[in-house]
Amino acid sequence: MSASDLLELESVTAAWEGTPVVREVTFSVGRGETLVLMGPNGGGKTTLLRVIAGLERPASGAIRLDGRSILDVPVHRRGIGMLFQEPALFPHRSVEENIAYGLEIARRPSAFVTSRVRELSQLLRLDALLGRRPDELSGGEQQRVALARTLAPGPALVLLDEPFASVDPELRHALAAEFRSVLRDLGTTAIFVTHDREEGLFLGDRVALLFAGRLVQLGSPTDVFNRPATAAVARFLGYNVLPGPSGAVAVLPSQILLGPPDPGALAATVIGSGVVGESTMTHLTTAAGERVAAIGASNEPARPAGQRVAIRWKRSVELPSGPDG
Amino acid sequence: MRLRGESLALLPALGFIVLFALLPALALFASSVAAEGGAPGILQVLRDPVNAQAVVNSFEQGGLSAVGAVAVGYPAGVLLGRYEFVGRRTLFGVLLVPFLLPALIVVAGVGALFGGGGLISQAAPITAVLGRGIPGIVTVNVVFNAPIVALLTATGVAGASPELEETVATLGGSPTQRFRDVWGPASSLGAIAGGLLTFLFSALAFAAPLLICGARCYTLEARVYTLDQTFVQPHAAGVLALVMVLLVLPPAAAYVLLAQRLRARTRSARDVRRRIPWRSPLAWPALAITLAFFGIIALVLGAVVVRSVQPGRGAPALGEGWATLFGPAVTSALGISAGGALANTLLFAALAAGIALVLGVVGGFAYGGARTTPRIVPFVLFLPLVISPVVLSFSLATFWRPLLGGASTVWALIVVSQATLALPFAFQVFGVALGRLSPQRRDAARLLGASPFAAYLDIEVPLARRGLVTAALFALAIALGEFTATYFLATARFTTLPVALYRLLALRATAPANALAGLLVVLTLVVFFVIARRGERVSL
Repeated sequence: MSASDLLELESVTAAWEGTPVVREVTFSVGRGETLVLMGPNGGGKTTLLRVIAGLERPASGAIRLDGRSILDVPVHRRGIGMLFQEPALFPHRSVEENIAYGLEIARRPSAFVTSRVRELSQLLRLDALLGRRPDELSGGEQQRVALARTLAPGPALVLLDEPFASVDPELRHALAAEFRSVLRDLGTTAIFVTHDREEGLFLGDRVALLFAGRLVQLGSPTDVFNRPATAAVARFLGYNVLPGPSGAVAVLPSQILLGPPDPGALAATVIGSGVVGESTMTHLTTAAGERVAAIGASNEPARPAGQRVAIRWKRSVELPSGPDG
Repeated sequence: MRLRGESLALLPALGFIVLFALLPALALFASSVAAEGGAPGILQVLRDPVNAQAVVNSFEQGGLSAVGAVAVGYPAGVLLGRYEFVGRRTLFGVLLVPFLLPALIVVAGVGALFGGGGLISQAAPITAVLGRGIPGIVTVNVVFNAPIVALLTATGVAGASPELEETVATLGGSPTQRFRDVWGPASSLGAIAGGLLTFLFSALAFAAPLLICGARCYTLEARVYTLDQTFVQPHAAGVLALVMVLLVLPPAAAYVLLAQRLRARTRSARDVRRRIPWRSPLAWPALAITLAFFGIIALVLGAVVVRSVQPGRGAPALGEGWATLFGPAVTSALGISAGGALANTLLFAALAAGIALVLGVVGGFAYGGARTTPRIVPFVLFLPLVISPVVLSFSLATFWRPLLGGASTVWALIVVSQATLALPFAFQVFGVALGRLSPQRRDAARLLGASPFAAYLDIEVPLARRGLVTAALFALAIALGEFTATYFLATARFTTLPVALYRLLALRATAPANALAGLLVVLTLVVFFVIARRGERVSL
């Protein structure tokens, strides 16, 4: 652990009803950094977050915050904030009372509470909503209140468990940008959980990929996207995994070229084809049963299902050989 | 997940039940069995033909009442739980009324309808059979318990997945197949739980056999009472009480298990509104049974209220019953004025409900929404109802009265017995309300720095406040109407209204008894209306 790291996890394993869902996970998070935990559903992301928060106890491993083990520190004394998929606002309290709750629990002076609530409500554009009840707010407003409430006591670390899952799709990206900007302005250390690869790559300073409870890759969004560590990671990031001359390669759908059948190229059969926005998307399957997606210009004609084609590609990423490669 | 340490919050409630129900009962059983000479003594008590008849009566009345209550309560529960129609919410609320009424009132109401000179039996003499003997007792038990079956059936129906039912329908499943595969099992679970509870309450009934039929129909509960109080055979009574508890233990345990399953299934249930399928051949009979059922409830209440103001035997003028009730003759007969009995009733009930509420709120910390509460807890909380009011008061009197001393402590034992009997219901009602809360809000409060208990008090209790109000009023209504245990313990000075009513009925002082019954109905209805306005839907 370096001096600039705030949180360190070492070989953390957690189980749910006897079945391990997080296995030997080790990583650290630097001060002020936003780490995104990504992976398919059921990969153990939420459980790992709950273990860090203290809502679940790990079966084994060590968790240190600021260099000190927090395994025996109860959840309410850890100084870690958490945002859930649902805003979990207190319905019997106004927006202002919700934001102030953690400060009141900590018995902070009322002048401080007032100024802190004002500061956060301005930052998150909640000034006009302070007197309202949670059921009078939209989904996005509720999540902004939940973030303000989480940030109010000044937690050392904030955990965000897919906080935009219940927000309308058209608002998600704007809200994600707003949350990133607020967290960076305040210098807050954060761990975001998401299964949306675009959201994850956009939000994180670093990205950690959790598959079947194991940490399979950790790096900057660019590194992770450009150099997926396994075939499973490549598929999760939207790549096709195809056989290359010296092992498996990852190819983005936009790099795929479709042509007439050719014995020297990879043969595939069209499953379906159609226009998606500005592009034409074609889904295919190879003789080995591998699914392939190809994106072309929208003026390309749609291909009929069952048509046999040859697949070539412009640019590819070589995948490391291994059990998942 | 709750920490195991939070289960410690249950200790006050469990300790209360152990101290004031389990320990005295075990002491009574042990001393009685020892005094009767062990196993041979138990067999001798059982060989007594009157005692053996009481065992038969308990099973006969319990079984018949359970069948009757399910026959009436199941269709009503399905209609109320599954379909939307005008007045549904009101009828749901009305279901609570018979359960909140003192059992004596239901006895008086059934008597006023089907007894000698009853409102219905006069017009249709054939119905007089429902006012006497075993049919009379079963009628009272059905009126009292069918609402419980309906409530539990409706709760069960709510636990059936609407999505699954729609899937079965789109796969070509007929209404019969949807019933068989989706909502039938869920509703049956509730009905069976209700039937078991009816069996328990009816097999241990006290007032109905005593007032409607007499000694030949005594249940074990009534027989234990007379053995101790009339024939002064406390040891034989204690042995019979042990036999009674052992006999009702299996159905009681089965009810607790079913109620737990029902609660788990309905935790995330949501109200789905359907229209009544009028074309179904079962819709009209079910509606007819439901309407007849609610009609009987209204008639029972109406008959009691009408009789309380009607001129009748011993009350030549309108309102005479009320004048007599508060007059010197009644004071002299009871040894206390009706006003004094009213004050006792309100005071004892308020104290008992207060105790049940405090123990419920503290215990709810471990109970609400928790899945890690020790499995034994619901069984212990239900023990007072298995031990039964007569055995509870009998053992309280023999165990605690010598320790507490003089007769002036009788009031404390009355309050304790009422609180013990109200506690299981207060816990159940409040526990269900807490169980419906999302654990995320509690987690959010804890992540913001609230200790587990602060998160419970700040967030969960206010969110479950309607359940808390309902639990408090439920406990109050049970304590207000409690007759059996109070009758066993009370001296003249500590007489309550239900006890006064029984004594007036026994003295055949019809006019003041009718007036008093009317007063009790009004008191119960006040509690009911507050629950209907402020509380939440009750699930037993």
